Amino acid sequence: MAEPAAGGGRPGRGRLVAFGVVVLLAAAAATGYGVHVSRRAARDRATSRADGGRTEAGSAGRNGAPASLFGPGRLVFRDTAHDASYGQVATVALDDPAGPRTVTGLTCDRVDVTATVGLCLTADNGIITTYRAYLFDANLRPRQSFSVSGAPSRARLSADGRYAAVTVFVTGHGYAGAAFSTATTLYDTRRGVGLGNLESFAIYRAGRRIRPADANFWGVTFAADDTTFYATLATGGTTYLVRGDLTTRTVRTLTTNVECPSLSPDGTRIAFKQRVAGPATGRWRATVLDLATLRRTPLADPRSVDDQIAWPDNRTVAYGLPRSGDATAVVDTWTEPADGSGHPRLLVAAAASPAFERPASPR
Amino acid sequence: MYATLRDRPDRTVPRPAAPGEGSGPGAGSRGRRRPRRPGLRSGLRAVRAAAGPTVLLLGLTSLLTDLSTEMVNAVLPVYLVATLGFTALQYGLVNGLYQGVTAVVRLAGGYASDRWGRHRDVAVVGYAMSVFARLGLVLGAVPGGLPGGGLVSGSLAADRIGKGIRTAPRDAMLAAAAAPADLGLVFGVHRAMDTGGALLGPFAAFVLLAAFPQAYDLVFVVSAAVAVVAVAALALLVDADAVAPVPRPRRPDRPPPRAAFTPLRDRRFAALVAAGFVLSLAMVGDGFVYLRLRDTSALATTYFPLLAAGTAAVYLLLAVPVGRLADRHGRGRVLLTGYGCLLAVYGLLLVPRTGTGGIVAALALLGAFYAATDGVLAAAASALLAPVTRTSGLALLATAAAIGQLIASAGFGLLWTVGGAALALRATVGSGVVALVVAVPLLRFAARADRG
Repeated sequence: MAEPAAGGGRPGRGRLVAFGVVVLLAAAAATGYGVHVSRRAARDRATSRADGGRTEAGSAGRNGAPASLFGPGRLVFRDTAHDASYGQVATVALDDPAGPRTVTGLTCDRVDVTATVGLCLTADNGIITTYRAYLFDANLRPRQSFSVSGAPSRARLSADGRYAAVTVFVTGHGYAGAAFSTATTLYDTRRGVGLGNLESFAIYRAGRRIRPADANFWGVTFAADDTTFYATLATGGTTYLVRGDLTTRTVRTLTTNVECPSLSPDGTRIAFKQRVAGPATGRWRATVLDLATLRRTPLADPRSVDDQIAWPDNRTVAYGLPRSGDATAVVDTWTEPADGSGHPRLLVAAAASPAFERPASPR
Repeated sequence: MYATLRDRPDRTVPRPAAPGEGSGPGAGSRGRRRPRRPGLRSGLRAVRAAAGPTVLLLGLTSLLTDLSTEMVNAVLPVYLVATLGFTALQYGLVNGLYQGVTAVVRLAGGYASDRWGRHRDVAVVGYAMSVFARLGLVLGAVPGGLPGGGLVSGSLAADRIGKGIRTAPRDAMLAAAAAPADLGLVFGVHRAMDTGGALLGPFAAFVLLAAFPQAYDLVFVVSAAVAVVAVAALALLVDADAVAPVPRPRRPDRPPPRAAFTPLRDRRFAALVAAGFVLSLAMVGDGFVYLRLRDTSALATTYFPLLAAGTAAVYLLLAVPVGRLADRHGRGRVLLTGYGCLLAVYGLLLVPRTGTGGIVAALALLGAFYAATDGVLAAAASALLAPVTRTSGLALLATAAAIGQLIASAGFGLLWTVGGAALALRATVGSGVVALVVAVPLLRFAARADRG
């Protein structure tokens, strides 16, 4: 191994050749895999449409965008079919979910909508990748923009569109030792101001104020009163469901092991993902919590659901699930009854981040 | 061994001075130094003279390995959460768990290098562990591969352990390849190359992901290929005997595990380790600095992912000139200035609403801190250590500093929980000032007289 090389510290000819061979082999392996990946992407493009039903001819792209995204009985989602519309916001009619989809030209990683306004989380890719959250109106025109500090995770609007909540992944730089965490920020869209990071809210656990240094929030859902919200708080290795108050800037823990809560339209239940005990890999069961009794009802779908669940109506939930095997980039939207009965059913193929227009607050 | 160049003081370890003492007229009157023209050209000439092929090859190995590591680190959190369903907390736990393991491995690697005089081969083992770490990720990510969670944890562990094994023997090789008067410069060149790789990594990952959306497996494959080339450069191109020209001891003077602590019998080195430990008590993780800066302005929010890159860029630019400065004007003095920069960063964090200027200043000071401490401390230690125990000594120093940082982080977290972030910061600045005051006599003692 350590035979002396010729030339006083300079490598011999044989070793230079061997190094050259290693470099060539490594380059060949990387390039070969790159070719494989691009072939795979091409194959996905061909198959995802076949699974995904018909497309409205000529609808893709900005020119084909409809005058309005909004209308009752529509599902808004992020198109995950491997083609030109990948990552764009699209809609289908709920009574014909396999029918033609309308692609909007808005590229979003997460999307939420109300009757009048939409919220989009997006990355501006470039040499410097930056992240942005913006509101768009019924004509798909951007209205307000907020810069956010990491890759999009969750987006939620209050029912009347007054408040917006954005969760992002704050990715650390391994070399600098920054820990990886999430950051959740609230915005008042009417006044056009940020309400700050949830970590700046006063936290009460069992009635006592706590000041954890490791507090992490994610997955906000708003109640119809425009004051109350729910979210997940993690600290000390435990996740809590918290109920927050926007006016007093406080959050109080309600129960544990509730992630990414989503309030039902009638405000009585929360659909969420419940961690399933097991190996290190995260597995979650879609579950519904009754807020009055804190009783949990696991839903029928046995697969691991890692999404903020949406409510098409008071009896049904919907969520995105990545396909298995070769095509995890393609996410389908599934639906099942909210009482744990029945079985999951594919709602829309190649559709992530499902959002349903909720009726505006009665007030 | 002593390659004294005419425009350098021929003292191996220049006398450190109190932090306030300037390096102006007093430093100039010390030797019969020929007037030199400071500037880029003379600096480049000095780099070329001091950094031979071995230094550049070790730098290349580190550059490629860091490129490979940071490619993965840049996408791993999103990959874990988006694809494997890891939570943020799990990732943090996995990441923190292995810090303790590395301390033990580091001491063992240092001892083994010295015992058998095989610095390069021990370093190859350490770098090869990064290759295995990448291959583990590839196996977890390719379609039809193995289930991911355990592989990711194992791969992070292998990477940390590999880093623990390779750092001390690599630094000992750098020291062996450098003239004593150039140690700071040589470490500066190496750290600049290392940081350059770390800066390129995330960029390479995002270029790949922009071209192939969601193709995390491709990022891991390319990262593994780069890591393989890094190990090959070290194993095939660096001459093992040239970097460890050490008469191998026929038998250890003390039985192993105690023999690993032999370097501490030199009281000057023990003083340097004590100084390194005390100074590390003033360190809080950079993650906290960036999170605190993020809340100060919208600009920092938009460019949050770039804050660490900004620090690294300053480090990259300053590593070589500051290393040379340390060779000329005293490594202890530069070290203390570096920790002074760190305390200034914490002080800036206490100022409410610092705005853009404050952010730029904080990043510049943090980068300067790294340039003035990381390589310079290794250079100061290498100058004190006999070649036969150099790797054990470097490993001891790094372990002492790691323990200090662990204590500092734990104390910081406790203070924050009890009294909030501002109190914790004030306490850190206060204890940092005390640490500086304590470190001055220790560093002066370490540099008191030349060996022999």
